[in-house]
Amino acid sequence: MPGALDGLKILDLSWGIAGSLGALLLAERGAAVSKAEPPGGCPFRDYDGYAVWDRSRRSVTVDLKNPAGLEAFRALAADADVLVETFRPGVADRLGIGYDAVHTRNERLVYCSCPAYPDGHRLASHHGYDALVQASSGQQWEQPGWRLGPIFLHMPMPSMAAMFLVPTGILAALLAREETGRGQHVRTSLLQGAFLYTTQIWTYAEQAPGEFWTVMSKSYPAGSHQEMVFEVANGDWIHTSIMSGLTPVKSQDAILGVPEASNNERYAMLSAEERAQITPKRQAAYKQRERDPLIAEFRENNHAVEAIVPMGASLGGAGEPHAQLAANEMVATVEDPDLGETIQVGVPIHLGATPGAIRGPRPAPGQHNDEVFGALGYPPDAVAAFSGAA
Amino acid sequence: MHALEGVLLVDFGQYLAGPFGPMIIGDLGADVVKVEPVTGDGMRAVNQPFTGCQRGKRDIALNIKAPAGHEIAMQLIERADIVHHNMTVGVADRLGIGYDDAKSVNPDVVYCNTYAYGVEGPLARFGGLDPLFQATAGLEYESGPVHAGNPPMYYRFGMADTANAMLSVVGCLAALYHQRRTGEGQELWTSLLDGAQMFSSDVFVANGETVKYPKLDAEQTGLGACYRLYETSDGWIQIAAVKEEQWQSLCRMLRAPELVDDRRFANGSARDANREELEALLTERFKAKTALTWSRLLRDAGVPCELPVDTKGGELAFFDADNERLGLVAEYEHPILGRMRQFGMLIDFSETPGNIHGPPPLVGEHTREILEWLGHTPAEMDQLKAEGVVYWPDDRYAWTV
Repeated sequence: MPGALDGLKILDLSWGIAGSLGALLLAERGAAVSKAEPPGGCPFRDYDGYAVWDRSRRSVTVDLKNPAGLEAFRALAADADVLVETFRPGVADRLGIGYDAVHTRNERLVYCSCPAYPDGHRLASHHGYDALVQASSGQQWEQPGWRLGPIFLHMPMPSMAAMFLVPTGILAALLAREETGRGQHVRTSLLQGAFLYTTQIWTYAEQAPGEFWTVMSKSYPAGSHQEMVFEVANGDWIHTSIMSGLTPVKSQDAILGVPEASNNERYAMLSAEERAQITPKRQAAYKQRERDPLIAEFRENNHAVEAIVPMGASLGGAGEPHAQLAANEMVATVEDPDLGETIQVGVPIHLGATPGAIRGPRPAPGQHNDEVFGALGYPPDAVAAFSGAA
Repeated sequence: MHALEGVLLVDFGQYLAGPFGPMIIGDLGADVVKVEPVTGDGMRAVNQPFTGCQRGKRDIALNIKAPAGHEIAMQLIERADIVHHNMTVGVADRLGIGYDDAKSVNPDVVYCNTYAYGVEGPLARFGGLDPLFQATAGLEYESGPVHAGNPPMYYRFGMADTANAMLSVVGCLAALYHQRRTGEGQELWTSLLDGAQMFSSDVFVANGETVKYPKLDAEQTGLGACYRLYETSDGWIQIAAVKEEQWQSLCRMLRAPELVDDRRFANGSARDANREELEALLTERFKAKTALTWSRLLRDAGVPCELPVDTKGGELAFFDADNERLGLVAEYEHPILGRMRQFGMLIDFSETPGNIHGPPPLVGEHTREILEWLGHTPAEMDQLKAEGVVYWPDDRYAWTV
């Protein structure tokens, strides 16, 4: 399948979610990504998720503390369009592969850094595990929970946002390079990732009235969307919606046999006291209904509704995959050399002329040493000496 | 020069997953023209999320169902590098601004549609809100967590909207790069459903079974005894003692050196297997001191930790000296809301910095400027306004933002 980024060479020196997934979004658009790992492989490999996050690329191993290894890495960088790294600020410079050292030899290189905190921030020297950034950025305090205080975010939110900032910054710099002929240093961070997801909840506005914030503010117990969550029969759960963009046939409450609130849209307009009258009746009605037939009936009547399922279920981990996800080709079979046949998330951006594709399972550490370094003229015995393969 | 200087994006989107992507592309230096109905973007009624997705755009209020309005829309599309919106399947075609219409006046345009579900398939006809896709991706189930007996819990960040928007940004920029190199434009789409699924992309199915993954506890504190929040004598602390030496330091600092040699907690998998026992032991210890005391002691001993900050709805972060100095905060004057602050540049460029153009626009704030650019005379503009084809702010301005 042709890709929009066919021919681009990316050197992925990253550890962690943001770099791996950020590079994945470019790899599956056609870029040739080589992940550079320490001899023996990146320690993050212990977590299964990297079987997905590090797919669609080649792997080379290189010992950066070995002078020949350092020089070989610099040769790779001299031949690349893009380099991605996620060290703490200053570490890449100390290793001899910082922006200045590498850019001197390759003016066209786009060098992307994504540490936990920006260079110059007072937290820049702190450890950058995702949960620490959840805490320091204020996001744990924003999340509603079943108790007061900060709530741990099961989804690694700062990383899962920075994964979009990495390819966005790289692509913007590549577009600028089309004009200037030069690469540049692109920097983002997990902290900036955390900020990305505050867009709907953090605005400071000096003259705004109090109502400006009320709809979206944190509450205890959790407000707004939580009122659309219902337990149905057999301990299952569903999330209903006040809008689907379609005109309802029968209202949700008519389907449930709860006459007091004619539909969710009206329900959303009621006062808290009025809702408190109706909610227990709705909850009781929902509990009588089996999940899948109720979802089908809601949809027949033009209501948007989804089952609340564990991770993996929509890929078919516990029965059929989600039918629309499958229709979007987001349920993909990948033959993994270690794990056998796997079902993974597919390619999430759909380009008509250049669709891109999954380019293969996660490679073994150093699987492409001879191929990648060989293309630069390194004979296999030289590669073995600096890649830890000996 | 800004990274995307000279790029024109015409944004027909409303609500969130449409407009947010163009806003980010605008921050990178593109000129973003928001084409808003004369009745206003439906999201303006919910002020705060609206303002979070619109800054820096030039706004023309236009009734594209009127022939004269449609003609103006097509003039904009003709000049666009990127056309972007989040209408449900078929709506743009019915309005005469679908991909085929756009291509007929601008053959190499990049045309992006963000959907709730997708283009074809059993649910493609539905719109939908962010939390439905937090449900399909497993986020609400795991954040309850339901497996521990709690109800599901939604995340407050609207990340499915944002993921959809950010996928559209990556897609648009990749398509634009292809177009710059080959001259070929194209159509692309993304969805809330697919975007949310990226958040659980680490969980896959191997040989018919879902792989194991870390689970949240019923108290919603974390993923294991060494990677979680603990309550101290006066508040909470997040620790991340993920390496063996960090675990050992943690035990020493908690005055529980005996745990290091305890066979129940001998290594990472043993600590996971005996999670509840270990958590009960550590929970007791953390009650002895304040959060600040623990953070100093643990940091000095090499144990990664942070205090969870209450930013007062972001205000502390937006007036934080480091964040201000590093450009992580943007400030502008809004005609109604006064001085505003929102997050600033999320990506820094050494050669071609981004450019945050200004506050979220009023309905039709730039209508006249844009019409003039398209070659309309003042008399024509007045006529168009009188006919309800366009709008710009006047003393009947009916919105709160």
